Amino acid sequence: MAINSRPQQIWVIYVTLMIAILLMILPLPDMLRLARPEFVVMALIYWTMALPQRVNIGVAWFTGLVMDITTGGQLGVHAFSYAMAVFMVARFHLQLRQYPLWQQAFTILSLVFLVHVVSMLNAPLTSSWHIWMPAVVSTVLWPVVYAVLRKIRRGFQVS
Amino acid sequence: MRRSLHFGETTIKPLFTQTPSLNTRMLLAVAASLLLFLMDARLDMFKPVRSALATAVYPIQSLAAMPSSFSDWFSEMFQDRGDLRERITTLEAQALIQNVRMQRIQALERENMRLRELLGSSFRLQERVQIAELLSVDLDPFYQHVIIDKGKQFGVYEGQPVLDSRGVMGQVAEVSQLSSRVVLLTDPSHSIPVQIVRNGLRAVVTGRGLGEPLQVEYLPHNADIREGDWLVTSGLGGRFPVGYPVGQVMAVDFPQGKAFGEISVKPAAQLATSRELMLVLPGEKIDFSLKIPPVDLNADSSTNAPLMVPEALQQETPETLPAPDAESSVESPSDDGN
Repeated sequence: MAINSRPQQIWVIYVTLMIAILLMILPLPDMLRLARPEFVVMALIYWTMALPQRVNIGVAWFTGLVMDITTGGQLGVHAFSYAMAVFMVARFHLQLRQYPLWQQAFTILSLVFLVHVVSMLNAPLTSSWHIWMPAVVSTVLWPVVYAVLRKIRRGFQVS
Repeated sequence: MRRSLHFGETTIKPLFTQTPSLNTRMLLAVAASLLLFLMDARLDMFKPVRSALATAVYPIQSLAAMPSSFSDWFSEMFQDRGDLRERITTLEAQALIQNVRMQRIQALERENMRLRELLGSSFRLQERVQIAELLSVDLDPFYQHVIIDKGKQFGVYEGQPVLDSRGVMGQVAEVSQLSSRVVLLTDPSHSIPVQIVRNGLRAVVTGRGLGEPLQVEYLPHNADIREGDWLVTSGLGGRFPVGYPVGQVMAVDFPQGKAFGEISVKPAAQLATSRELMLVLPGEKIDFSLKIPPVDLNADSSTNAPLMVPEALQQETPETLPAPDAESSVESPSDDGN
């Protein structure tokens, strides 16, 4: 089908990343705020795994920068942590694709936890069990996100 | 997604023709992040860049705030006539009560100013305020920041105090063209100088994060502070105006073996629910510190102090006060009338 190597429908990727960023700052009640899943990390991981030649460290870094500015934190923190997570996914994307979904979910757990800890290094407050909440919720949500993004990718024939 | 692997020989190519390797790219990303990190943390010159970037992402933020502003608009549009009428009645009653209180406060303010003038101390009164609206967007939960919809184009500046109808909310941390970021009192990096209303004891109140009460710092065991004490801004530090409520002391504990007490304070402002905020403008200050003559007179002849009083008053009243103190009781009904 796609013989040429030019990017196809690549805007779809950016739209999903933008939606993920919106989901990250959508107002939630205080109790749920600390458990907000890391939508952006999940979207980045999916796209890196599926299309590593389109979404890679550069895109992850810029997405992180946009997150840094949008959430008003220290510049470079999200950028660095997203780039790091995507680096690992890009390194092992061939293996990750072969894993069953639940095993992928555990990779997500560790990656999201890593990202979250790095983003919090600069944060003034750390309370013990809250740190795990986003990672756990993201893990549980991974199959859903995966299915939705795959549907989008196939529907728009992004390559 | 496995399909992408089976494209054939021609499509495998771009994977390998991309010049920088994964490690190189990661190294670049790390270097760029570090550079950003240092520039943002250390350089003041970087501030305009940051503010420009914040302006650039404002559309994203307002897009995220749209659902809640839309639901507000929706509930406003389809309000019951009876509800509205009821609200008008309560608001009118409130306005009446406030007006009656204002009459007394105006008289007291004038008296207070006159007394302060006699003491030769500078005092500013009547800050002007500007209304701003909160953009309902969740930022990083580990910082207590909010975005408001007024920026540089309305003259908002960094460090500007922010109030709501009940008390101090925080201060402006970053200004962009269309919006600004406000640090709330509860942010762990925020401290505010306060004094206790009951006895004037000064202290510093620091935030402790989302959902936690504020804390009074560095008060020794013998400090006279009790549960239920009201804390107001002391005006020290020159950032916050004097006398706005900060919070009420909830619990006082002086643990054995620790140098300072653990005192928690409930913020007066409704940090979680307020949608309309007030930005305090620096103008309209009545600054008596420039008018040295009364102080000089006082220093020259302390015995003549009673004689000096009317003289000083006559000097000051036409310039600074809207009406002489003696007529305040006459004037206040006319205020009420309009």
